[in-house]
Amino acid sequence: MKKHWWKALGVLLVFYTIIQGFLGGVPKMDILNESIRSLYFHVPMWFAMIILMGTSLVYSIKHLRDQTQESDMKAKEFALTGMVLATAGLITGMVWARFTWGAFWVNDPKLNGTAVTILIYMAYFVLRGSVDDEQKKGRLAAVYNIFAFVMMFVFIGILPRMTDSLHPGNGGNPGFGGYDLDSRMRAVFYPAIIGWTLVGVWITNLKVRYYKLLWKKEDVENNNSFGKE
Amino acid sequence: MLLQISEIIKLNFKLEWRKRQSVLSVLLYVLTTTYLGYLVFNNTITPETWNALFWIVLVFAAIQAAFRSFQNEADKRFLLYFTLVKPQALILGKIAYNFVYLFTIGLFTFLLFNFLLGDIVHNPWAFIVLLWVGCAGFAGILTFVAGISAKAGDNPALPAILSIPLLYPQVLALSKTSIRAVTGFSWSVNAPTLLILLMLALVSVLLSYMLFAYLWRD
Repeated sequence: MKKHWWKALGVLLVFYTIIQGFLGGVPKMDILNESIRSLYFHVPMWFAMIILMGTSLVYSIKHLRDQTQESDMKAKEFALTGMVLATAGLITGMVWARFTWGAFWVNDPKLNGTAVTILIYMAYFVLRGSVDDEQKKGRLAAVYNIFAFVMMFVFIGILPRMTDSLHPGNGGNPGFGGYDLDSRMRAVFYPAIIGWTLVGVWITNLKVRYYKLLWKKEDVENNNSFGKE
Repeated sequence: MLLQISEIIKLNFKLEWRKRQSVLSVLLYVLTTTYLGYLVFNNTITPETWNALFWIVLVFAAIQAAFRSFQNEADKRFLLYFTLVKPQALILGKIAYNFVYLFTIGLFTFLLFNFLLGDIVHNPWAFIVLLWVGCAGFAGILTFVAGISAKAGDNPALPAILSIPLLYPQVLALSKTSIRAVTGFSWSVNAPTLLILLMLALVSVLLSYMLFAYLWRD
């Protein structure tokens, strides 16, 4: 129980966000209206994605230092879960955009940031797929991951600040940020970030454990066959 | 270190001179794609399209050019370099060499665009400065990614897949600024963007410098 409390917390927080997110009160705002509830899903998923991608980056750096199969596998799995959250965040965002901006996809710096993130991580997986040697794969992937993360950060962190974005809170659009995110919304928004992150970590954790068992099984089989010879 | 870098640059120019057809092939690539643009647009091109087409053609030509920088020597010559120079010197030398190379191609593309698609650039010097800054950033990213894809083996789609998303920030900033060079340019207004582009180039060179040692060892 001591070891697993955070999984339960993650699930509870996500359920809380879903229930409170749909039933709780929200401030009335022009244009946004009830679609403001997207803040409880779209934005926390993106935050959780950035946290998971950041963890993947940490494991990539670790891999360059220790060269173990484990750190490489963790880097890959965190990136993979990050991609799942990115896709979920993208879909929820697109639904929101359809009703607020009138189209599923508009030319906006932040949307371009999304696209570049997804394309970079797809490239990361293609790179992994095209190298056979495990050692080399781990190293190349780690190096690309670090390079790509920094570039992605530049793209989604710096460039949108240079130009006006259609996103709420930028360029005079009605926003969630600062003064108009009231305490009712905060009480759902922050737990949502923690909840999605914990669920993401849990998913990754399951796959990490699966791989570790798989390797152990292979080890045992190799040892057995070695004994027979 | 500086000596090693300059040796690498010299060596690369010598090798390039020996294999002149590879430079010519990239120039021909630019020529054919630009001529394709000329045929397709058929004198109906607007300044915005001119500008967009220029960067697209240049990005693809740059990828073609930069990816040969490690391609031919992935295995054999790497071993030679390994005994002779530090990896940091190698990557910096290659970036410097690619920068000169890409800038030459960029200038060629620019002249060709002026010739074929219309001499519409209002402030050509501003455009060339942007081209210079852009090529510095391209060289930083493309040289490094060329190293990765050379090590990753023979997947022909890999160079483009790996590098194009990384180039988005620069190409976006470049094309947004260069359209102003086409229509009318003010140095003081565009100074922050130029600075950001320079920073981007610097960041990519620094990252290559730090990470190349890991890529290199086998």
